[in-house]
Amino acid sequence: MPLKMKKIFFSFFSSLKLTITLLIIIAVASILGTIIPQQYGGGESFRHLSPGLFKVFNSLQLFDMYHSVWFIILMGLLSLNLIVCSLDRFPASWKLFTAIPSPDRSKPFENLPPESVILTEKDRNEVIESVANILTKRYKKIRRKDADSATFFYGERGSYSNFGVYIIHLSSLIVISGAIIGSLLGFQAFVNIPEGESTNTVHLARQKGVKKLDFTVRCDKFSISFYDNGMPKEYRSNLSFIKDNNVILEGPLLVNHPITFNGIRFYQASYGSTPGGKAYITVIRENKEENTLKVKQRDSFYLKEKNTKVKILRIEKNLMSMGPAVLINIQSPEGNMQFWVFKHIDKIRERIPGLFKKVPKFNPGRFKPYYFKLDRIESNYYTGLQLSHDPGVVIVAIGSIFIILGLFITFFSSHKRLWVRVDEQDGKTKISVGARSNKDPVGLKREVEHLLSYFSSIG
Amino acid sequence: MIINTVILSWVTFIYFGSAVFYIFKMVTGKEFCGSLASIIAFIGLIAQTAGLILRWFESYKMGIGHAPLSNLYESLIFFSWTTVLLYLIIEWRVKTKNLGAFVVPFAFFSMAFASFSPNVNARIQPLIPALQSNWLISHVITCFFGYAALTIACGLGFMYLLKGLEKGESPRLFFRLLPDREIVDELTYHSVVIGFIFLTLGIITGSVWAYSAWGSYWSWDPKETWSLITWLIYAAMLHSRFVRGWRGKRMAIMSIIGFASVLFTYFGVNYLPGLHSYF
Ligand code: HEM
Repeated sequence: MPLKMKKIFFSFFSSLKLTITLLIIIAVASILGTIIPQQYGGGESFRHLSPGLFKVFNSLQLFDMYHSVWFIILMGLLSLNLIVCSLDRFPASWKLFTAIPSPDRSKPFENLPPESVILTEKDRNEVIESVANILTKRYKKIRRKDADSATFFYGERGSYSNFGVYIIHLSSLIVISGAIIGSLLGFQAFVNIPEGESTNTVHLARQKGVKKLDFTVRCDKFSISFYDNGMPKEYRSNLSFIKDNNVILEGPLLVNHPITFNGIRFYQASYGSTPGGKAYITVIRENKEENTLKVKQRDSFYLKEKNTKVKILRIEKNLMSMGPAVLINIQSPEGNMQFWVFKHIDKIRERIPGLFKKVPKFNPGRFKPYYFKLDRIESNYYTGLQLSHDPGVVIVAIGSIFIILGLFITFFSSHKRLWVRVDEQDGKTKISVGARSNKDPVGLKREVEHLLSYFSSIG
Repeated sequence: MIINTVILSWVTFIYFGSAVFYIFKMVTGKEFCGSLASIIAFIGLIAQTAGLILRWFESYKMGIGHAPLSNLYESLIFFSWTTVLLYLIIEWRVKTKNLGAFVVPFAFFSMAFASFSPNVNARIQPLIPALQSNWLISHVITCFFGYAALTIACGLGFMYLLKGLEKGESPRLFFRLLPDREIVDELTYHSVVIGFIFLTLGIITGSVWAYSAWGSYWSWDPKETWSLITWLIYAAMLHSRFVRGWRGKRMAIMSIIGFASVLFTYFGVNYLPGLHSYF
């Protein structure tokens, strides 16, 4: 029986019990997700602990739960719940929005508190005109009804307030759909590029595997700067984006300042140093500086002396916690000699008296009459970039803005409806004010007081 | 020690004094105690404001100027500042002093934790690159105003439940002095609404920050996820009120559960495996 099915479907999906149940299930699932490690090989440590459990968890997609089928189903159910509920209720809200109740209803005037009634000596017709004036200034959808014994008015404001909830709910759907679009059509990727090199191949984060970009990214330079206390101050990659051998875009990439190119956002995510680097070595002969050279590992150069060749064997950023050092080999007719040149050799000698006696290999003046000085080492860095392409972001952003709007409408506005009756009592003109509101009784009371103060100044 | 931390550790004692007088007021009913408590809390708030501004200036003098909202110490201070500020506004609007006994202690605990826990570093530190963002500042401000409102809702929840203990014809004095249960319920609701709106704004500004710093507006990091869980709890609470008309005791309990979730989002998350717990 399709009709009955439809009814069951409707009553199931329009119940708030379902909403609350779903909200709680999603909350509990999310809690699980913060306990079980997610993504990027999060399950690996688990595999060792208990292979059996790992299998079960894995088949339930518990290691990538927020993208799992069942999580998406939960979101789908919530959305369906929301849609059905809204459809269910919207006609009534619309009616409330468009309908104008008749001014001479008696209900609003029942059990009026005494302060909602004003008696005045003024002529009734004058009062009616003033009331009409005041109401048209303050309210919308004014209706008036003149009867023999009394004149009735109706006015309202804030009728849009009933739509706040629909705005919130619709925008929640928009946010959810933006998130789904992003996860279906977008991607996250990462890549490490050494300084001076370029690439067009990046590693996908979730889907695994690699992706070829239709342009090339070159890292021209990576640099870090530090505060005085040693905390990092800035990570900066100078990137060039190249298409068909032309540099289309060039710029510094910093944390918190991503660069967008071809619809892909690039983020400064990490960095590291590649082995080797460059060393600046000053050659001193008989206390006279000869020259300063910039060398890489395996570079070699000749000294003035009789066929003497210097070869750079190793460049270490921090050898045995004693700072930068370079291992050099000197090949002369007398044979081979190897020693380390430390940058902070003076400090090291202070700390370890008699160092050169104990370890001749640390003596930078071992090859007489020469003395070698290590000025500094320049590391070769690579920059770690994160890439993100997410066509859902705009949708999520729009949805979020409307959620805020909807929240403000829902909580800070109310649909206030007022009925005013002007008649006579004991030879005086009587004004009575009745009021209804969908929420915010305090605001309604203030509104009525306001209106009454206007009315009492008529007389 | 730098002058701002000295001032801020005094504020801890000031709030302690205020909390004690609020409790006296609740138990004895002496108006005098209540007024004293309010005045002390107000003095504390001014001193704390001065401390925060000084700290801000000092960071500029050190050449690493930034708003004092960047580490656990500063966030705890800011949390108690927003809580007391919001509380005093409510006290002034609603004209009841009994709530103070349930709220000001939270501000005191937060200050005490910030000032005296060995795990909390009070030094002014420069901002690491990820934290150099104006969105982060708006994120912290909105979140902590939200937390403050939800702290007050939790205090109201306790108050409601405590009042529920009263039995028989002659309730003990301090039960009678609490405001009417209906008023407490209404206040709880309003606090939760304010808290919920700020929480929503906090989540949104946080995702904008994440979108410029972390490569994705939402990455299901434990902190993000817990803020969503908290949001869902309060959403469920508001819905059960709107549609099913839940009131009173159930709301009180929900406001306490919700606050537990707030606390976990704030502190507990650091014990979970995560990518970027920045404290
Ligand atoms: C994504 C999250 C949300 C979901 C899934 C959701 C779902 C629902 C559902 C299913 C209903 C029941 C409708 C009915 O019974 O006809 C409802 C009602 C309501 N919701 Fe939400 N809602 C969400 C967010 C919000 C938010 C953030 C607010 C604002 C605080 C809100 C305010 C309301 C109100 C005021 C009602 C009662 C409507 C009425 O009585 O006419 N909702 N919601």
